Amino acid sequence: MTVEERTLSMLVNNRPGVLSRIAAVFSSRGYNISTLCVAETINPDISRITLTSSADSDFTEKIKKQLYKLVDVLEVSDFSGPAFLHRELMIFGVKVTPETRIEIMRAIERFGCRIATMSQSYYILESTGSRPENEAVLAYFDPFGVEEMNRTGSVALKKIFEAATPRT
Amino acid sequence: MGTIGADIVIQILREQGVDVIFGFPGANSLPLNDRLMESSIRHYLVRHEQAAAHAADGYARATGKVGVCLSTSGPGATNMVTGIATAYMDSSPLVALTAQVNTSLLGRDAFQETDIISMTIPITKHSFQVKNIHDLASNLREAFEIATSGRPGPVLVDLPRDILAAQCEPAGPVEETIRNGYKNGSDGREAIERIARALNQSERPVVIIGGGVKLANACDLMGDLIAKTQLPFVTTMMGVGSVNAANGLNLGFIGSHGFELANSIVHQSDFILAVGTRFTDRSTSRIDEFAPLATVAHIDIDPTSISKNIKADLPFTGDAMEAIRTLIPMIEPRDRTDWMNRIAEERTSVEEKVPDRGCGPAGTFIRRIQEALPDDTMAVADVGLNQIWTVRSWRTRTPRCLLTSGGMGTMGFSVPAAIGAKIGAPARSVVAITGDGGFYMNIQELATIRYYNLPIKIVVFNNGHLGMIRQIQNLFFDARYNSIELGEGTDFVAAARAFGIPSSRIRVDNASDEGIEALGRTDGPYLLEAVVDSENFVFPIIPPGRSNVEMIFGQAD
Repeated sequence: MTVEERTLSMLVNNRPGVLSRIAAVFSSRGYNISTLCVAETINPDISRITLTSSADSDFTEKIKKQLYKLVDVLEVSDFSGPAFLHRELMIFGVKVTPETRIEIMRAIERFGCRIATMSQSYYILESTGSRPENEAVLAYFDPFGVEEMNRTGSVALKKIFEAATPRT
Repeated sequence: MGTIGADIVIQILREQGVDVIFGFPGANSLPLNDRLMESSIRHYLVRHEQAAAHAADGYARATGKVGVCLSTSGPGATNMVTGIATAYMDSSPLVALTAQVNTSLLGRDAFQETDIISMTIPITKHSFQVKNIHDLASNLREAFEIATSGRPGPVLVDLPRDILAAQCEPAGPVEETIRNGYKNGSDGREAIERIARALNQSERPVVIIGGGVKLANACDLMGDLIAKTQLPFVTTMMGVGSVNAANGLNLGFIGSHGFELANSIVHQSDFILAVGTRFTDRSTSRIDEFAPLATVAHIDIDPTSISKNIKADLPFTGDAMEAIRTLIPMIEPRDRTDWMNRIAEERTSVEEKVPDRGCGPAGTFIRRIQEALPDDTMAVADVGLNQIWTVRSWRTRTPRCLLTSGGMGTMGFSVPAAIGAKIGAPARSVVAITGDGGFYMNIQELATIRYYNLPIKIVVFNNGHLGMIRQIQNLFFDARYNSIELGEGTDFVAAARAFGIPSSRIRVDNASDEGIEALGRTDGPYLLEAVVDSENFVFPIIPPGRSNVEMIFGQAD
């Protein structure tokens, strides 16, 4: 079976212990969660969890059924693929010298990055995009000396809005 | 004396029809234990919290109602974990109440504090830690709703001491409590129509009855289906006793300790109608060689059980009773004489190959025990050789006449579960059948039996060893025995007497009727130590990693 990265988006009750129950569903079946984002939705009683996991093709249906058995899980959707908008925030620190400054500034502009904070010799840059886009950004800056990096993991939404979709 | 949280607990338990709790108190559960004194709920004091959970589980299995157990915080709660897991694996409806330290002390490593919620997430359907007195009633009601709905199972409610002691108003009427996220869907009639069409076309069909048929109270309907269609059927170990059929349609139970006929017929079938089973590895052995020719129709309430182990060609997710009721009128009569003849021939050859149901003198002994006890006796088997002897030899007459720890395989289950079964069904006779290994694990519950004078019969097969492990070492580890000898140092007859329970010892292979008769005629509890040869193994058996039709029939194979 082919292993690929899947994105699951779920709406859950916003209460203590829900995340650990969900994590237990994955860990007890030997699935690794690659990225995980949790935040309240517009409705503060409900949180959205977006997670990615590398798994075989049976994974989504099986894990969905398991997740639906949890009392606090309201909805589970497969957000994998191009019909969904995927974004993650990455921040990273890169060394800057007088020789590299101009090239770095051009790259910041070309990639649509933002300088979050800076000193003479060190910039912390912010990049928002899909995971592959951020991978490309990181690969470009790496030769200049990337010291540290932190990223959120994917958040995702359906690209096409349906009129009746509740605002969560 | 105003209303406190503990009164709410009792109010909701009464509202849910609970009249029995199995428990063991501690400082943090005392507000509840104190108020139980004035309630109509009987609290049975067991001697170990694990036994409280097993007893509540046994009560649930014997009655079909929710079993309730209660412990204090910390070690009391952790001691219940094995019993909760046992109920989870066999889908037994259980509400486990654990006391907890005061909410102000949570997370401070307080005395007798433990994070029981985190510890039990994988073995409960859901759990609640009540941190607000206003949630107490609704959380408890939800716990009962979740424990009994869909595929039943255990739910834990953690009750901090200050919540139990908090002043409050009595709980209001039942509101709509169940949350959006917990639904039992059901596939439509079309799914059943597809199953019926395939079944009608099949030439070599077989029905597999799992424990879920009992849980859905669908045994009578399943019996109607078998009677109407004359379909041959097998059961899983948890499904044993679901349907009575004396006409040759019952082929026995499948799996690694199952009947050769059952395994063989499933292997040759072209259509399987499986109801209320999750196709555990104990039933299927090698998945890739299980029923290779069959189209599999699978009916189960739990969507995660469908295609989890065996791919279902024709799934139906929903209530078994509803499914069978819809299915029965759709099944058309069909002449399957060839298939039935083949089954009859195989049955004859198996009976020659496996005399005494493969259990040796122990099997004969169990049937003699059954004959000495009333017809409605419930046998509660432990785990190990004694369990397989019992499941293979006990003549099951009603769905609840044989209770055993199937999924978890918990040694020490039988004695405390028998306590719960007897208390739940006092009019029925109960016999706990155990081995010396499992008996040691909850031997202290003899004190509970004596204290409450419960007329439970106990048969302890004593072979001085962990018998099942000895058999496995014998067959698959070149008879290199290690760490399995229990020895003959314990005089179980004297031990029973020390607990105040009359007892005697006999040898299984040369048993006079005296001990068996004493077991049958004694009014109160009685313990019979049945000394059995350590070479009294059970055959056939499937070697690890082999398929259901690669059973071996003796040590020489």
